[in-house]
Amino acid sequence: MQGNTVNYEELIPGYEFPPTSYELSASLVSKYLQAVNSAGDGFVPPLAITACVIATMADSFSLPPDTVAIHASQELEFFKLVPIGSTIECHTIVAQKITRGKMSMLILELEIFDQGKEKIQSGKTTIALTT
Amino acid sequence: MLTEIREGKTFTPVVKHITQEKIALYAEASGDFNPIHVDESFAAKTPFGGTIAHGMLSLAYVSEMMTSAFGQNWLSGGKLRAKFKEAARPGDTVTINGKIDCVEKKDDVSYADCSFECRNQRGEVIVVGEAIVKLSSDKR
Repeated sequence: MQGNTVNYEELIPGYEFPPTSYELSASLVSKYLQAVNSAGDGFVPPLAITACVIATMADSFSLPPDTVAIHASQELEFFKLVPIGSTIECHTIVAQKITRGKMSMLILELEIFDQGKEKIQSGKTTIALTT
Repeated sequence: MLTEIREGKTFTPVVKHITQEKIALYAEASGDFNPIHVDESFAAKTPFGGTIAHGMLSLAYVSEMMTSAFGQNWLSGGKLRAKFKEAARPGDTVTINGKIDCVEKKDDVSYADCSFECRNQRGEVIVVGEAIVKLSSDKR
């Protein structure tokens, strides 16, 4: 988690989260591979990157009281292999916010770059909030 | 890796047993400590009635299947769209299946259009989605 948290109400379409950076260390990758029970192939699993980014992003805003947030859908595109030890930077914006009764959907778009500013991954995350 | 890329080709299924310990390990690895995944007393009071696995954990299994089928083509040229339909819970055994729906060529590059689904031991769909893999020239 980096920086301050914002209130859910402040997340309006176009809101940009402060960019976050991560070092994809060997220990982080090893921990991830152990958690998903996978052998790995010498590169950072793309889903490990997405998982860390989503977790940090979700931690950066506070939910309304008595709300449960769950992941509703995910779109992803991988552009290049990411060597272990790389540092990446993630940019996230609020694409849409939909409220229907007690249900609310937050749609976030993310773009992830390597040290050379080349895009390595992009995606769209839909988080459903329910009481 | 698949030895042939053709319409209808199925992938080797991935089967995983979900436990609360695995969910906790995933929370540690990803940094996602949403209480719906890790706090049993909190989760018991929600409409889910108990903890559920991270959607991204199920998606990691999908990616494992795609990596086994396509190797680096998936890791550096894959695209997916997934919907989390139901929650995977501790005690569930999930099976991920997928296949190539068609192989198409755009601007001299071939793509495998695939579909996948993840079901629990009761046959309920946990995750469903599509994936596209850009194939390297030697696969054409």
